[in-house]
Amino acid sequence: MNEAAASAVPVFAFLFPILMTPVIMFAGRRSGRLRNALALATTVVTFLAVISLYPRIIGGEVIQFTFFEILPELHISFRVDLLSFCLAALSAFIWVLCTIYSIDYMAREHAGSRYYPVLIFTLGACLGIFMAGDFFTLFIFFELMSLIAYILVIHEETPAALKAGYKYLIMTIIGGLALFFGIIITFELGGTVSLSGGPLVQETSLLAFLAFISFLIGFGMKAGIFPLHVWLPDAHPVAPSPASALLSGIMLKTGAYGLLRVIFHVFSVELVKSGGWDKIMGVIAVITILLGSAVALTQDDIKRRLAYSSIGQMGYILLGMSILNENTLIGDIFHIFTHAMIKSTLFLAAGAIIWKTGKRLISEMPGIGRQMPFTLGCFSLAALAMIGIPPLNGFLSKWTLGLGALEAGMPFYVLILLVSSLLNALYYLPIIVPAFFGGLESDHEHGFDIKEATPRMLVPVAILALGTLIFGLLPSNIPFDLSRLTASYLLRGGPF
Amino acid sequence: MTLQHHFPALIIVIFLICAFIMPLLFRWRSTLCAPALLLVHLLALAMAVALLVRLYAGGPFYYHLGNWAPPWGIELKIDFLRVYMVLILVGLGLWIFVYALKDLAHELKREVTGWYYALYALLIGSMSGMALTNDMFNLFVFMEICGIASCAIISIKESRECLEASFKYLILSAMGTGCYLMAIAMIYMVTGQLNFQLIREALPAAAGLYPNNLLVATALIIVAFGTKAALFPLHVWLPDAHASAPSPSSAVLSGLVIKIYAFSLFNILFFVFPASFRQAVPINEIVLWLATLGILFGSIFAMVQEDLKKMLAYSSIAQIGYVFMGIGLNQPTALLGGFYHILNHALMKGMLFMVAGVIIQATGRRRVKDLNGIGHVLPLVMIAFTVGGFSMIGIPGTGGLISKWYLAEGALLANRLFFVIVIVLSSLLNAVYYLPIIINAFLNPYEGREPVKPVSRLMVGAITAGMIAVIFFGVYPKPVIVFLKAALAAVIGM
Repeated sequence: MNEAAASAVPVFAFLFPILMTPVIMFAGRRSGRLRNALALATTVVTFLAVISLYPRIIGGEVIQFTFFEILPELHISFRVDLLSFCLAALSAFIWVLCTIYSIDYMAREHAGSRYYPVLIFTLGACLGIFMAGDFFTLFIFFELMSLIAYILVIHEETPAALKAGYKYLIMTIIGGLALFFGIIITFELGGTVSLSGGPLVQETSLLAFLAFISFLIGFGMKAGIFPLHVWLPDAHPVAPSPASALLSGIMLKTGAYGLLRVIFHVFSVELVKSGGWDKIMGVIAVITILLGSAVALTQDDIKRRLAYSSIGQMGYILLGMSILNENTLIGDIFHIFTHAMIKSTLFLAAGAIIWKTGKRLISEMPGIGRQMPFTLGCFSLAALAMIGIPPLNGFLSKWTLGLGALEAGMPFYVLILLVSSLLNALYYLPIIVPAFFGGLESDHEHGFDIKEATPRMLVPVAILALGTLIFGLLPSNIPFDLSRLTASYLLRGGPF
Repeated sequence: MTLQHHFPALIIVIFLICAFIMPLLFRWRSTLCAPALLLVHLLALAMAVALLVRLYAGGPFYYHLGNWAPPWGIELKIDFLRVYMVLILVGLGLWIFVYALKDLAHELKREVTGWYYALYALLIGSMSGMALTNDMFNLFVFMEICGIASCAIISIKESRECLEASFKYLILSAMGTGCYLMAIAMIYMVTGQLNFQLIREALPAAAGLYPNNLLVATALIIVAFGTKAALFPLHVWLPDAHASAPSPSSAVLSGLVIKIYAFSLFNILFFVFPASFRQAVPINEIVLWLATLGILFGSIFAMVQEDLKKMLAYSSIAQIGYVFMGIGLNQPTALLGGFYHILNHALMKGMLFMVAGVIIQATGRRRVKDLNGIGHVLPLVMIAFTVGGFSMIGIPGTGGLISKWYLAEGALLANRLFFVIVIVLSSLLNAVYYLPIIINAFLNPYEGREPVKPVSRLMVGAITAGMIAVIFFGVYPKPVIVFLKAALAAVIGM
């Protein structure tokens, strides 16, 4: 394959959904079915395009492509390495499933012709973030994705959604400005913002520290870390469920991805450690984990509980970044996979419950597991994975993270992981157990019949739930191998 | 001498002549007025492009009016930056005029349209003169023309608040030009020169003899141009004036007029005062801090405005602060940002005032509160408003980000981290008052029984063109940036 054709695939992958957006919009005016089919086809084609990069990426290739020079010394450029590939493939995959799920779920909602184009556009922007070859491009796609996702957040246009959306928007703008601040300092210190060279900043200084803090604010805002998480528990639950799954499952990860890029490309592991910045992240991570889980306990709305749980889980990823050895990095990247799958399963399952029964409050849900055994079965599997029960993938990521913490001589962090698992159990089990075993008396009143959601909603949930099982059960599965390769690639500049 | 040689003067003169004949032409054949003024704009634009070509071929040059060399005659200087300003003035002047063609019918009595055209030509002509002149007194003359034309173009609407606002403007503007005249007198007293270059050469000697004279003159100049360009805290006239004027006037006044005064201040600071003088007296520092206050307070005042056009006017005070910040930072990259922002802000604020004009015309609403759901009835126009608002905030893909990028980079290069924070903070402030309007316009239902009046396609077309330009200069800013970089390098030699 020649050079141009080789770099064309990643460009196609993120550009295709963006270009399809207006097509889907116009198709939506003619027929809803055509629109849905086009949206689904777009995600599938995009997913295949991303996956087709696998042999080359795994062979150690880094695909680079410069679009054009937007300003002197600032380019729109793209670069796909292992880390980009992991996240891009993951997002494209979850997007396919969420689009399938949307077809029935959104049939009841209004403004489908607004929802699908936006859904597809965010996919393109998301891939653009993961494939960006420099921070300026990353920033552009990051802002694009964040702003467009606003339309997903407020989709239902209820006063609560509008209020949450406004909060989201303002926080997004603040995050974007913080990023702008960090990027411009990086540009000033390093003379470029490209990801392809070595670390851009060589030594600690006040400016470098400020850049780090602004990156932490900018990306941390998206990742929902404490104390910048305030928008998250409002914004994620009010969105339609498939959108919540994407917001929590994928879009949070863009923040984590950005932070990883910052640590490895703007600074370096040594610099982060010598500046003591890892401790800042560590403290924030611990607070985020405990706070997310603790507040989740008090939530009665199922989607809010899931949203708070996301905050706690993002804390794990930040924790891994603060320890920064090989095992925690593997754990980090694997947890990105894990959490994306688990949280999408949970949100989609919760969405199925809400869609079928209209119940959002956990206190109304006893006995629901007997009505919707399949949905709740998947939900339980994912929840158990989140708690970290052994053969499931959540266990594997926690295990690796814990291993890394011990290697680094920080048993305190292992304790935090254990406490948080306990907390996870405390807020997930009270959903699962009553769902199957509670509310028996109402059966006598209403009878006992199975009311599951449609197959098109159940299949994506099932695939994701199965994923949590498979990727935990097999010791050498693709995500875990990819995480291992990526971690050593990031730490040593190449595993090959 | 060929005609081409006279292009620098002709750009100004054709506008002035056009201004004289416009009222007569209006009596005789009123339909000819608009095409004539359009033609003049196009001619001026062509001449400005010709100047640019000549600049590329031979570098900066001077033009002596009537062939009288300075110190006796008036000298025009043509360099890249000045031509850049003339291109913006005439180009955007044309754009706003196209919009005005249809808008005026709704805002003005028919009889005064001819007068309006005359004032418009006078305004663009005098601003081009201010951009090109290299003579202190000539600058004063153009300032007076521009000031009076600006007042008239506001008061032409003859409503109570217009008269009040233009009277306020007249007083403050007269104070500004008065200050400037005194400053010229003081400089003339000690140097005996009026030409920029000649003063610059005579100043070091004079500064030793009469330092106080020059200090007072400097202060007067800052007050004069600060008042005219609405530099905080001399901005008090602007909100009323820009808000009450007919919409095309607001677009010209906010988009172009305040910029030209900032540009003139830049010219005087950098080409009249020697660099040593600027180091001895903290002029840049003063401008910088006033700009900072303007950026912050302009936005804060804008938040509490109920009237859409008033909000836009206060936003202009904040935005002109960016231009002054570029000047104040005294750093080539920051200046680049400031100059790019002149173009950007002219485009986006011009467009936003046009949008306000269309909204007022179509629905009769001008209070921010009443704009709920307006996006459903005027979708294209409100999308343009969204793009303009995003550009104000500095969302990627709009021109606003690029100017902020360079301003911030310049502040960092000058080791003034604080001002980067100011830029970031002000973007947030902008978000706080632009975003709610956009959200409410699209996500709330439109309430109102009275039907929406149809809006001329030409007006919507002008707005669309502006929207495309804002995006274009945000996505592909490279040519202008490269041009400005070369221009600043050539002009300032930094």
